[in-house]
Amino acid sequence: MTTLTALLAPLAAEEPSTAVPFSEQPVIRVIMLSGLAAIGYLVFLRRNRLPFHIVTVFGLLAAGAAAVLFPGATDDIAHYVGVGRGVDLITYILEIAVMFVLIHYYTKFVELQQQLTQLTREMAILKAELERAAPNPPPPPPPP
Amino acid sequence: MSITTLVASTSDIHVVIAAFNEAKVIRGVVGEVAAQGYAVVVVDDGSRDDTAASARMPGVTVLRHAVNLGQGAALQTGIEYAVRRGARHIVTFDADGQHSCADIPELVAALATHDVALGSRFLGKPVVGASRGRRILLRSATALSNRMSGMTLTDAHCGLRAFRASAAPALGITQNRMAHASELLRKIRTSGLRVVEVPVTVRYTEHSMRKGQGGLQAIRILFDYFFRPS
Repeated sequence: MTTLTALLAPLAAEEPSTAVPFSEQPVIRVIMLSGLAAIGYLVFLRRNRLPFHIVTVFGLLAAGAAAVLFPGATDDIAHYVGVGRGVDLITYILEIAVMFVLIHYYTKFVELQQQLTQLTREMAILKAELERAAPNPPPPPPPP
Repeated sequence: MSITTLVASTSDIHVVIAAFNEAKVIRGVVGEVAAQGYAVVVVDDGSRDDTAASARMPGVTVLRHAVNLGQGAALQTGIEYAVRRGARHIVTFDADGQHSCADIPELVAALATHDVALGSRFLGKPVVGASRGRRILLRSATALSNRMSGMTLTDAHCGLRAFRASAAPALGITQNRMAHASELLRKIRTSGLRVVEVPVTVRYTEHSMRKGQGGLQAIRILFDYFFRPS
């Protein structure tokens, strides 16, 4: 019961937030931190290791971990930029990030479709021109 | 001046037919058009039936899309092929048998003074077999289409059209599916091509109605038109 109350603590509006000790929310924090660690592990292991890339990913992961360890910090940042609660701020950032990712992949998808169209078209025309050049191709060799 | 003097030779005319799963009717449609002496380009848009084989006959070139892309993409493939083969006039014709090849000479004759001739179902010739609901749908589509394209046409999207091969580059279709019809109108307008409407007969059969576009499809067409960059 105490765990649930602690989890919902950031949702209680208007109240000034205080740092929640780790022992109060062990489960969710372990889940979040291992998730971030897993992302970091996969990204560093599988992707290119440009210094800029590493710094960016590490920065994002560190920010995530900080938000898990010091939930009150997001409230402070939110207040600083004029947003009521930390969760709201994170939601807004998420919304923008999700839109950005969606548009990015949609653009890629359309581009890919255009390339597929071009390929299919070229193949169709090429095949017709080959047939035109040799109307009666020799029959394929019989299977052995 | 008679039509025959305007149209030097039917072989200058390429009739492009986009077909998807039309094995049942394609042979009759293609045969009818080819019998008039036109060069016919059939684009089988990745059909799962024997459309390509059924369409094959003397005077007919069959192109085949390896995957299904949509009517707009199929028409564009046929148009590009026709241009490469030296067509002077290109006609688009539906595969489902709703058009009459008796209308082709009039469309092509209109190209003597215009770049594009669009068939219209509402310029006097009868629309056979259309229900009251379909007529209302077509009228609404026409009104909306005129708003979007800024032109005053009597028909929105009739599949029977003719244009000069020289207009083909300006008309290049990038809308793979059904929004190509709106795209064509927009490109006609923005490229300043001279356009005219020619009355055509449309024969709605049970088959063509089943293959045709219902009211709900309109939503998808609008989505494609506005959200697919072209």
